[in-house]
Amino acid sequence: MQRSLLPLFFPWLVALITGCATSLTADVDPSADLSSLKTFYVVNQPNDRRGLEVLIADELNVMGKKAISGKSSTPPEAVDAVVNYVDRWMWDITNYMIQLTVEIRDPKTNYIIASGNSYRTSLARESPEAMVDEVLNKIFTQ
Amino acid sequence: MSVFRFVCLMIFFTLATGCAVGNKYDYQQIDIALPIEGTGVLGLGVVESRDYIVSGDKEPDFIGLQRGGFGNPFDVTTDSGKPLVDDMSTSVANALARSGFTVEKLNLPSREASDVAAAVKAGGYARNVILTVNEWKTDVMMRIKLVFDLELQIIDQQGKLLATNSLKGEEVIGGGGLESSNAQIAASAFESKIGRLFNSPEVKAALVDI
Repeated sequence: MQRSLLPLFFPWLVALITGCATSLTADVDPSADLSSLKTFYVVNQPNDRRGLEVLIADELNVMGKKAISGKSSTPPEAVDAVVNYVDRWMWDITNYMIQLTVEIRDPKTNYIIASGNSYRTSLARESPEAMVDEVLNKIFTQ
Repeated sequence: MSVFRFVCLMIFFTLATGCAVGNKYDYQQIDIALPIEGTGVLGLGVVESRDYIVSGDKEPDFIGLQRGGFGNPFDVTTDSGKPLVDDMSTSVANALARSGFTVEKLNLPSREASDVAAAVKAGGYARNVILTVNEWKTDVMMRIKLVFDLELQIIDQQGKLLATNSLKGEEVIGGGGLESSNAQIAASAFESKIGRLFNSPEVKAALVDI
């Protein structure tokens, strides 16, 4: 390789390997009937200062469910499912959410009924609203 | 060596190894929530049945691969340094205890059925939970692939099989990131799979009224 091309080759390789990877997955208990879950409580993750629990609850409401959110780990009222999430952020010129994992749990036993994950690196980044939307839709259409 | 070549070499090695060397995941302190509740004393054994561990090709603390920038693999091991089945045994024992059971670990010298039967008989517990790990490993580069083959058996003290459930497959469970993120995703997948194994009517029925 000519020396003059090396400065172009390495950034290209880095971008190729890390820049635009995505994955969208969901894992739902085959015995679970997610359509029977009507009411949800989304628990704020203590490290989240951006209020993702509100976005998740809003999206569930848009999907026709009844969802509330809060900081307490226990629901303030009886619900069909509790929702937990883990968000990971990266910086590349601006801050962006690189990964979001959502878990839907049985409020009585805390058993994971279903979970979903969206992963988007810098060049494939989407807004938190879009990532919440795609994870929840992946879970409920699995 | 010119500065330019040195920088290129450093970039190459960073890409080739990056954060890929010496990764460790914790399977010992996972808060597994099981979909069961019960009381009584259970014997618990987790059987190592991964061929490459039994044959000695890999160490018992091997739990998967982390790939460098060019796909070059590095072993990922347990954070505790203990065999994977020991970490899994601790997590499952804690989960069963939270579900109301008293758990006694069984001493399983090998994966042979005769050894498992002998350990169950020696323990003398009315119900025994035997988890056989035929495969469990993650393979991480841009995504995290989980390869798993688990079998759960509920056996009485005479060695009679009361219930069984199994899970086997290969799944992408998330995107590859830093070690802590990958470890958290792997732990969550383990919690899901173990919960799924216990969420069977036969298994639940075998664990009530001990």
